[in-house]
Amino acid sequence: MSIFGSNEKKEETNTTFLFDTEKDTINQSNLAKDIKIHGSLEAKDYIEFSGNINGTIKSSTVNIRQAGFVKGTVSGDSVTIEGEIDGDIQAKDLYIKSTAKIKGTIRYTNIDIQNGSIINADLFYSS
Amino acid sequence: MDEENTDSISQDLDNDSKMVLVGSGVRIEGRIDGAESTDVSGSLSGTLKSSRISINTSGSFNGDMNGQDVVISGNVEGEITSEDTIIVNQSAKIKGTIEYSSLQVSYGAKLEGSLRHRGSIQNYSTVTSVSDENIEGAESNIDEKTEDVENNTDEEDNQ
Repeated sequence: MSIFGSNEKKEETNTTFLFDTEKDTINQSNLAKDIKIHGSLEAKDYIEFSGNINGTIKSSTVNIRQAGFVKGTVSGDSVTIEGEIDGDIQAKDLYIKSTAKIKGTIRYTNIDIQNGSIINADLFYSS
Repeated sequence: MDEENTDSISQDLDNDSKMVLVGSGVRIEGRIDGAESTDVSGSLSGTLKSSRISINTSGSFNGDMNGQDVVISGNVEGEITSEDTIIVNQSAKIKGTIEYSSLQVSYGAKLEGSLRHRGSIQNYSTVTSVSDENIEGAESNIDEKTEDVENNTDEEDNQ
Protein backbone atom coordinates (compact mmCIF):
# COMPACT_ATOMS: atom_id res chain seq x y z
CA MET A 1 0.00 0.00 0.00
CA SER A 2 1.28 3.40 -0.91
CA ILE A 3 0.76 4.95 2.50
CA PHE A 4 3.47 2.74 3.91
CA GLY A 5 6.07 4.53 1.83
CA SER A 6 8.55 2.88 -0.46
CA ASN A 7 11.51 2.06 1.78
CA GLU A 8 9.97 -0.56 4.00
CA LYS A 9 10.71 -4.19 3.63
CA LYS A 10 7.36 -5.84 3.67
CA GLU A 11 7.19 -9.47 4.64
CA GLU A 12 4.45 -11.57 6.05
CA THR A 13 5.32 -11.28 9.69
CA ASN A 14 7.83 -8.49 9.71
CA THR A 15 6.84 -4.98 8.78
CA THR A 16 9.21 -2.59 10.48
CA PHE A 17 8.75 1.12 10.31
CA LEU A 18 11.12 3.97 10.79
CA PHE A 19 12.26 3.81 14.41
CA ASP A 20 12.82 1.82 17.56
CA THR A 21 15.87 -0.21 16.68
CA GLU A 22 16.83 -1.20 20.21
CA LYS A 23 14.35 -4.01 20.41
CA ASP A 24 14.75 -7.27 18.59
CA THR A 25 12.78 -6.64 15.47
CA ILE A 26 12.18 -10.22 14.51
CA ASN A 27 8.45 -10.75 14.23
CA GLN A 28 7.85 -7.32 15.60
CA SER A 29 5.90 -4.57 13.91
CA ASN A 30 6.20 -0.95 14.90
CA LEU A 31 3.83 1.43 13.26
CA ALA A 32 4.85 5.01 13.73
CA LYS A 33 2.85 8.15 14.12
CA ASP A 34 1.14 9.68 11.08
CA ILE A 35 0.33 6.33 9.59
CA LYS A 36 -3.34 5.97 8.78
CA ILE A 37 -4.81 2.61 8.01
CA HIS A 38 -8.25 1.57 6.90
CA GLY A 39 -8.52 -2.15 7.26
CA SER A 40 -7.02 -4.92 9.27
CA LEU A 41 -3.57 -5.30 10.73
CA GLU A 42 -2.43 -8.72 11.86
CA ALA A 43 0.87 -10.11 13.09
CA LYS A 44 1.86 -13.31 14.82
CA ASP A 45 3.87 -12.05 17.74
CA TYR A 46 3.96 -8.34 18.39
CA ILE A 47 2.46 -5.11 17.15
CA GLU A 48 3.40 -1.74 18.53
CA PHE A 49 1.05 0.85 17.12
CA SER A 50 1.31 4.63 17.26
CA GLY A 51 -0.72 5.37 14.18
CA ASN A 52 -4.36 5.80 13.38
CA ILE A 53 -6.44 2.84 12.28
CA ASN A 54 -10.02 2.38 11.32
CA GLY A 55 -10.38 -1.36 11.46
CA THR A 56 -8.84 -4.26 13.32
CA ILE A 57 -5.54 -4.95 15.06
CA LYS A 58 -4.73 -8.49 16.03
CA SER A 59 -1.56 -10.04 17.38
CA SER A 60 -0.34 -12.14 20.25
CA THR A 61 0.96 -9.01 21.96
CA VAL A 62 -0.44 -5.63 21.07
CA ASN A 63 0.76 -2.31 22.40
CA ILE A 64 -1.25 0.76 21.43
CA ARG A 65 1.05 3.64 22.25
CA GLN A 66 -0.01 7.00 23.52
CA ALA A 67 -0.26 8.53 20.04
CA GLY A 68 -2.19 5.57 18.73
CA PHE A 69 -5.86 5.71 17.87
CA VAL A 70 -7.99 2.73 17.02
CA LYS A 71 -11.53 2.86 15.81
CA GLY A 72 -12.57 -0.75 15.63
CA THR A 73 -11.26 -3.84 17.31
CA VAL A 74 -8.06 -4.66 19.17
CA SER A 75 -7.48 -8.26 20.12
CA GLY A 76 -4.61 -10.30 21.49
CA ASP A 77 -3.33 -12.41 24.35
CA SER A 78 -1.59 -9.50 25.99
CA VAL A 79 -2.87 -6.05 25.13
CA THR A 80 -1.53 -2.77 26.49
CA ILE A 81 -3.43 0.44 25.86
CA GLU A 82 -1.76 3.82 26.23
CA GLY A 83 -3.69 5.56 23.48
CA GLU A 84 -7.29 5.95 22.44
CA ILE A 85 -9.71 3.18 21.51
CA ASP A 86 -13.20 3.56 20.18
CA GLY A 87 -14.58 0.07 19.78
CA ASP A 88 -13.93 -3.39 21.13
CA ILE A 89 -10.99 -4.78 23.04
CA GLN A 90 -10.47 -8.49 23.52
CA ALA A 91 -7.57 -9.68 25.61
CA LYS A 92 -6.49 -12.36 28.02
CA ASP A 93 -4.24 -9.92 29.81
CA LEU A 94 -5.29 -6.33 29.43
CA TYR A 95 -3.20 -3.46 30.76
CA ILE A 96 -4.79 -0.03 30.61
CA LYS A 97 -2.28 2.74 31.26
CA SER A 98 -2.92 6.16 32.75
CA THR A 99 -2.95 7.91 29.36
CA ALA A 100 -5.57 5.61 27.86
CA LYS A 101 -8.99 6.69 26.66
CA ILE A 102 -11.39 3.88 25.94
CA LYS A 103 -14.93 3.85 24.70
CA GLY A 104 -16.77 0.68 23.78
CA THR A 105 -16.63 -2.90 24.94
CA ILE A 106 -13.92 -4.73 26.85
CA ARG A 107 -13.67 -8.50 27.04
CA TYR A 108 -10.91 -9.80 29.25
CA THR A 109 -9.64 -12.51 31.56
CA ASN A 110 -7.24 -10.39 33.58
CA ILE A 111 -7.40 -6.64 33.74
CA ASP A 112 -5.12 -4.02 35.22
CA ILE A 113 -6.16 -0.37 35.14
CA GLN A 114 -3.90 2.52 36.01
CA ASN A 115 -5.14 5.57 37.78
CA GLY A 116 -5.85 8.39 35.33
CA SER A 117 -7.28 6.44 32.44
CA ILE A 118 -10.64 7.47 31.05
CA ILE A 119 -12.86 4.51 30.37
CA ASN A 120 -16.48 4.46 29.33
CA ALA A 121 -17.06 0.86 28.48
CA ASP A 122 -18.99 -2.29 29.12
CA LEU A 123 -16.89 -4.95 30.77
CA PHE A 124 -17.20 -8.66 30.20
CA TYR A 125 -15.13 -11.13 32.13
CA SER A 126 -14.41 -14.59 30.81
CA SER A 127 -12.17 -17.23 32.34
CA MET B 1 -9.84 -4.51 82.39
CA ASP B 2 -13.48 -4.35 81.32
CA GLU B 3 -13.73 -0.71 82.27
CA GLU B 4 -10.59 0.18 80.38
CA ASN B 5 -11.91 -1.55 77.29
CA THR B 6 -15.24 0.20 77.36
CA ASP B 7 -13.42 3.47 77.95
CA SER B 8 -11.22 3.01 74.91
CA ILE B 9 -14.19 2.00 72.75
CA SER B 10 -16.23 5.02 73.75
CA GLN B 11 -13.19 7.24 73.13
CA ASP B 12 -12.86 5.78 69.68
CA LEU B 13 -16.51 6.45 69.08
CA ASP B 14 -16.10 10.03 70.25
CA ASN B 15 -13.15 10.64 67.98
CA ASP B 16 -14.58 8.88 64.98
CA SER B 17 -18.25 9.09 65.67
CA LYS B 18 -19.20 8.98 62.01
CA MET B 19 -17.66 5.59 61.48
CA VAL B 20 -19.57 2.50 60.45
CA LEU B 21 -17.97 -0.86 61.09
CA VAL B 22 -19.59 -4.04 59.84
CA GLY B 23 -17.63 -6.87 61.35
CA SER B 24 -16.98 -10.20 59.77
CA GLY B 25 -20.06 -12.41 59.91
CA VAL B 26 -22.39 -9.49 60.59
CA ARG B 27 -25.25 -8.79 58.20
CA ILE B 28 -26.85 -5.39 57.84
CA GLU B 29 -29.64 -4.35 55.51
CA GLY B 30 -30.85 -0.83 55.07
CA ARG B 31 -29.68 2.67 54.39
CA ILE B 32 -26.61 4.38 55.75
CA ASP B 33 -26.17 8.08 55.19
CA GLY B 34 -23.81 10.75 56.47
CA ALA B 35 -21.05 8.40 57.49
CA GLU B 36 -17.45 9.55 57.33
CA SER B 37 -15.85 6.18 57.13
CA THR B 38 -17.40 2.78 56.47
CA ASP B 39 -15.52 -0.43 56.86
CA VAL B 40 -17.26 -3.63 55.79
CA SER B 41 -15.91 -7.08 56.57
CA GLY B 42 -19.36 -8.63 56.87
CA SER B 43 -22.34 -8.25 54.61
CA LEU B 44 -24.09 -5.00 53.90
CA SER B 45 -26.97 -4.50 51.54
CA GLY B 46 -28.93 -1.40 50.78
CA THR B 47 -27.84 2.17 50.18
CA LEU B 48 -24.59 3.52 51.52
CA LYS B 49 -23.32 7.07 51.48
CA SER B 50 -19.99 7.67 53.15
CA SER B 51 -16.86 9.68 52.36
CA ARG B 52 -14.57 6.74 52.79
CA ILE B 53 -15.73 3.24 52.00
CA SER B 54 -13.75 0.08 52.36
CA ILE B 55 -15.18 -3.31 51.42
CA ASN B 56 -12.65 -5.75 52.79
CA THR B 57 -11.71 -9.15 51.43
CA SER B 58 -14.30 -11.00 53.49
CA GLY B 59 -16.88 -8.25 53.02
CA SER B 60 -19.71 -8.05 50.56
CA PHE B 61 -22.01 -5.27 49.50
CA ASN B 62 -25.23 -5.33 47.57
CA GLY B 63 -26.88 -2.13 46.44
CA ASP B 64 -25.85 1.42 45.69
CA MET B 65 -22.83 3.04 47.26
CA ASN B 66 -21.69 6.60 47.01
CA GLY B 67 -18.38 7.83 48.36
CA GLN B 68 -15.25 9.81 47.74
CA ASP B 69 -12.47 7.37 48.48
CA VAL B 70 -13.62 3.85 47.82
CA VAL B 71 -11.52 0.73 48.26
CA ILE B 72 -12.95 -2.60 47.15
CA SER B 73 -11.30 -5.89 48.08
CA GLY B 74 -14.45 -8.00 48.46
CA ASN B 75 -17.65 -8.68 46.57
CA VAL B 76 -19.86 -5.90 45.30
CA GLU B 77 -23.05 -6.14 43.32
CA GLY B 78 -24.76 -2.93 42.33
CA GLU B 79 -23.71 0.59 41.65
CA ILE B 80 -20.54 2.29 42.83
CA THR B 81 -20.27 6.04 42.49
CA SER B 82 -17.19 7.93 43.56
CA GLU B 83 -16.35 11.59 43.23
CA ASP B 84 -12.71 10.91 43.91
CA THR B 85 -10.77 7.67 43.86
CA ILE B 86 -11.80 4.06 43.48
CA ILE B 87 -9.19 1.41 44.17
CA VAL B 88 -10.09 -2.13 43.22
CA ASN B 89 -7.79 -4.72 44.68
CA GLN B 90 -6.85 -8.09 43.28
CA SER B 91 -9.32 -10.04 45.42
CA ALA B 92 -12.31 -7.92 44.39
CA LYS B 93 -15.34 -9.12 42.45
CA ILE B 94 -17.65 -6.43 41.15
CA LYS B 95 -20.83 -6.76 39.15
CA GLY B 96 -22.61 -3.61 38.16
CA THR B 97 -21.92 -0.03 37.23
CA ILE B 98 -18.90 1.94 38.35
CA GLU B 99 -19.01 5.69 37.98
CA TYR B 100 -15.63 7.14 38.77
CA SER B 101 -13.27 10.08 38.53
CA SER B 102 -10.12 8.13 39.15
CA LEU B 103 -9.98 4.36 39.00
CA GLN B 104 -7.21 1.91 39.72
CA VAL B 105 -7.71 -1.81 39.23
CA SER B 106 -5.16 -4.42 40.25
CA TYR B 107 -4.43 -7.36 37.99
CA GLY B 108 -6.66 -10.26 39.01
CA ALA B 109 -9.76 -8.33 39.99
CA LYS B 110 -12.98 -9.40 38.31
CA LEU B 111 -15.21 -6.66 37.00
CA GLU B 112 -18.40 -7.11 35.08
CA GLY B 113 -20.73 -4.36 34.02
CA SER B 114 -20.06 -0.82 32.94
CA LEU B 115 -17.42 1.76 33.65
CA ARG B 116 -18.42 5.38 33.39
CA HIS B 117 -15.97 8.22 33.78
CA ARG B 118 -17.64 11.16 35.45
CA GLY B 119 -18.18 14.16 33.22
CA SER B 120 -16.27 12.80 30.26
CA ILE B 121 -19.09 12.00 27.86
CA GLN B 122 -17.81 14.57 25.35
CA ASN B 123 -14.22 13.69 26.12
CA TYR B 124 -13.49 11.75 22.95
CA SER B 125 -11.87 13.31 19.93
CA THR B 126 -13.13 16.73 20.93
CA VAL B 127 -9.68 18.34 20.83
CA THR B 128 -10.36 19.97 17.47
CA SER B 129 -13.97 20.86 18.13
CA VAL B 130 -13.08 22.50 21.44
CA SER B 131 -10.47 24.69 19.80
CA ASP B 132 -13.00 25.48 17.06
CA GLU B 133 -15.37 26.75 19.72
CA ASN B 134 -12.60 28.86 21.17
CA ILE B 135 -11.90 30.37 17.79
CA GLU B 136 -15.56 31.13 17.23
CA GLY B 137 -15.90 32.68 20.64
CA ALA B 138 -12.87 34.84 20.04
CA GLU B 139 -14.19 35.94 16.68
CA SER B 140 -17.48 37.06 18.11
CA ASN B 141 -15.83 38.92 20.96
CA ILE B 142 -12.63 40.51 19.70
CA ASP B 143 -11.73 40.32 16.07
CA GLU B 144 -8.13 41.36 16.64
CA LYS B 145 -7.41 38.43 18.90
CA THR B 146 -8.85 35.91 16.52
CA GLU B 147 -5.61 35.61 14.65
CA ASP B 148 -3.67 34.97 17.84
CA VAL B 149 -6.05 32.28 18.93
CA GLU B 150 -5.91 30.66 15.53
CA ASN B 151 -2.15 30.77 15.52
CA ASN B 152 -2.04 29.29 18.98
CA THR B 153 -4.35 26.46 18.11
CA ASP B 154 -2.40 25.82 14.96
CA GLU B 155 0.74 25.52 17.01
CA GLU B 156 -0.99 23.23 19.45
CA ASP B 157 -2.22 21.07 16.62
CA ASN B 158 1.28 20.82 15.24
CA GLN B 159 2.61 19.70 18.55
